[in-house]
Amino acid sequence: MTEKWKEEKWAEDIWYSGKVTRRRVIGWGGGAIGAMMLVPAPWRAAFGAEKAYKIGSEQPLSGAGAAGGKTAVVGLQMAADRINKNGGINGRPVELDIVDDESSPAVARQKTEKLVQEDNIDAHVGGFLSNICLACMPVWEDAKIINMISVCLDTTLTTTHCNRYSFRTYDYAPAQAVAFAPTLTKMGKKWHIAFADYSWGQSTRDAYIAHIKENGGEVVGTTGIPLGTPDMTPFLSKISGDFDGLFGIFFGKDGVTLVTQAYDLGLTKKYKFAGDGSISESTNLIAIGNKIDGFTAINRYIPVFQGPLDTPYHHAWFNEAKERLAKIDPSGPLPDKYVQSNFEALNALKIGMEKSKFQTRADTMKLVEALEGLELKAGPDFPQGDKTIRKEDHQAFPQEFIFTVSGGTYHLIETVPGAKTVVPPACNFSA
Amino acid sequence: MGALGQFFHAIPFDLIIIQTVNGIVTGMILALIASGLTLIFGIMDVVNFAHGELFMLGAYIGFVVFVTTGSFWLALIGASLIVAILGAAMQIVALRPLIGRDPLNTILATFGISLVLQNYALWQFGPVVRKIPEPISSQFTLFYLQYPWYRILITVLSAAIIGGFWLYLKYGKLGVWIRATAQDRVMAQAMGIPVPWVYTGVFAIGAAMAAASGVLFAPMVGVSHTMGLDWVLKAFIVVVVGGMGNLAGSIVAAIFISLLEAYATIWVDPSQAVIVSFVVLILTLLFRPTGLFVATPR
Repeated sequence: MTEKWKEEKWAEDIWYSGKVTRRRVIGWGGGAIGAMMLVPAPWRAAFGAEKAYKIGSEQPLSGAGAAGGKTAVVGLQMAADRINKNGGINGRPVELDIVDDESSPAVARQKTEKLVQEDNIDAHVGGFLSNICLACMPVWEDAKIINMISVCLDTTLTTTHCNRYSFRTYDYAPAQAVAFAPTLTKMGKKWHIAFADYSWGQSTRDAYIAHIKENGGEVVGTTGIPLGTPDMTPFLSKISGDFDGLFGIFFGKDGVTLVTQAYDLGLTKKYKFAGDGSISESTNLIAIGNKIDGFTAINRYIPVFQGPLDTPYHHAWFNEAKERLAKIDPSGPLPDKYVQSNFEALNALKIGMEKSKFQTRADTMKLVEALEGLELKAGPDFPQGDKTIRKEDHQAFPQEFIFTVSGGTYHLIETVPGAKTVVPPACNFSA
Repeated sequence: MGALGQFFHAIPFDLIIIQTVNGIVTGMILALIASGLTLIFGIMDVVNFAHGELFMLGAYIGFVVFVTTGSFWLALIGASLIVAILGAAMQIVALRPLIGRDPLNTILATFGISLVLQNYALWQFGPVVRKIPEPISSQFTLFYLQYPWYRILITVLSAAIIGGFWLYLKYGKLGVWIRATAQDRVMAQAMGIPVPWVYTGVFAIGAAMAAASGVLFAPMVGVSHTMGLDWVLKAFIVVVVGGMGNLAGSIVAAIFISLLEAYATIWVDPSQAVIVSFVVLILTLLFRPTGLFVATPR
């Protein structure tokens, strides 16, 4: 009854002219979507009608590797924003196509195929977990797409599994072992290695066994611990005997578990304690607390302003990264090597694309040739320092930082120049 | 000396005692997690894939309470209560509408909840691993090791929580209702027991037990969004080996499997020792599919 007035003649204009009908919703909705498609994105306004380079990136945004994947994306986004702000690459903007590999090699393979076939990316910068990098390497090679590996440390990526399209602009285990072994053998001659029992941990273990031996030391035992083992005590309890130091090769929360439980069992007091810098990344330090005091490690990046890292461009990069990281974590972590290597990998790609005048995937071979032997100079693009992508195996050798941790901070004790970490190439593309 | 004498001489007794202690400690933590899981299955027929995330959520809430109050014990109690309330809400909203439907529905629902909770934790707390310090940090000498008293405390507390729950199940009003519902839910409802609320209560208790174990375990590994994943697989193995829904069976299976793994590390490479639990699982499924501690119907 209350609605009767709508049917009267005098009310027709008022009611029907403004009535929201399904037809109108569809009409206005379609118009709005069309308008949104036509409105230029901010970068399109800056670059006119230039088509963006589509850079794919596979990152673990969920699952076991998600914590590192989140910081890796910060580095990548920082580089992309900076490139676009400074005029893009060859006058064209960069658009990131980030996919979540869910920390699973099987999912990663599917997503890689999607990036190649459906998204039609121009190049790839990414890869965090070594088993995923290894699983996806053949896809990039078959599709003839540049793969700038940005975190994976497995040795074989640039040795037995090397291919013409994959590049690594940061270090790998043999180079770190060359740099660190002299310090380790000064600390003690006999070592026991506890390692994450998967591709990266195993290849890193092998590198340290070889180089500790080369420097007059000896690895008297090794203990492999599966990834994600929540209680390492049954493994660590078995570590005993006559040796000088315990060397750990872990990353992420496994690093927290190792340090906490080795400390609780008295191992870090009984033996000298050293290891891969991934254990003491800034995202782990809060949880480990003072249990890591005295830990000696090697890393390609530590968030300090000491030695060669006390530069204006590193200060600027550090501040921006810290600000961005605070947005994804309220505790405000310091930048880590995952932020650094993603940032630098995309910048290296940019230089290669500019040098080769890369336009489409048809120019990939020219890009390969431009990246081979490319010198990356320390500066705003490469705040970590100088490095060269070796032509023979596409492996770079950056400077390494040997440091100790105490009181929740890093103390740089030695910088090893990249040239002193070089190991002979295991494959040779230039032949 | 005979072959037997040589064999006994070769057994490293110090390592056996150390691994026995390790096995019991790990087993009790696992038992606390698995008891919540088996309780929920036994009463509700729900395979709770979100149990690991309730464990993780308990640790995160414990961390927040610890930062606010500075008390580990308040963190333990607060996290258990808050997660119990969240668990009850989760059961009412997501699982109660699925009662009576195909079990696959509840599996998918709890799996979905686990993904939501895991990604929520990563979004809310970020990638940095958090710390809840242990309430006691002293150690005692166990042969060549310094063994933390905190691990012994965890064992005692886990046993106390499980024991307290068992007593409540036996003598408490809700406990009697739970047992009645487990025996015959139709008859229980006919006798006036509010079965849907019993379900909610059971889910809340299971969630609280997961949260308590999360807080207890956090000082040993830190708090991260994936910490539940590492335990829940093993908890499922324990529940299957102990007999789905059999509380006592799960506790015995947790200690049994943990001891087996710990002993295996003495003779085989520790990374191969974890295979032991899978071997036990396969053998159980082959020869006693209802669980080691439940009679197999013939």
